[in-house]
Amino acid sequence: MPGKFCVSLTNAKNDPDRATVGFVIANAAVGSDQETVVFVSTEGVRLVEEGYADDIHEEGFSPLKDLMTSFVEAGGIIWVCSPCFKKRGLDEAKLINGATIVGGAKLVELLAGGAPCVSY
Amino acid sequence: MTSKPDEDVAARWDAGALGCGELVIELRGRLARLAPGLLFELVASDPGAPADLPAWCRMTGHQLARADHPTYLIRRRSKD
Repeated sequence: MPGKFCVSLTNAKNDPDRATVGFVIANAAVGSDQETVVFVSTEGVRLVEEGYADDIHEEGFSPLKDLMTSFVEAGGIIWVCSPCFKKRGLDEAKLINGATIVGGAKLVELLAGGAPCVSY
Repeated sequence: MTSKPDEDVAARWDAGALGCGELVIELRGRLARLAPGLLFELVASDPGAPADLPAWCRMTGHQLARADHPTYLIRRRSKD
């Protein structure tokens, strides 16, 4: 009985523990047959620029790049906060596979439809 | 918990200390490669596994045939 599940992720190298655990839980959700969206915003948007997450490896977890790759390969979706991305001058051409830039209406639609959301 | 200890196991995986999302994302892929109805033996020593694996089976439709931490016998669901 698939449902929808959202992980809101607002951290990157400023807090690699939270950034990593966000994707661990996202993997748990998509691995449990939930339609899963990771919504990255504020500092979290840095994670979706190609190469940025390559050297994030929090002790006790798999490397963040591996977690993000397995998430996307399992069908997980990454939504990227448009104004957060633009504000930081990040390059849209360097978005990782599986990431899509969206506005807030996409998140609102998902949550207003009843999807639960956990934040990191 | 309906399976007998001597039931045929089609595939096994020792996940070691892997847990949480890292465990179930890999488990999902391994079960997907198994034919419907076959048995899969998992060894998972993570302390969260006794709570997580029954929940995971309820969500995914796979049957937890036996749970004797750290060993779990899972029957693959019949339909995807």
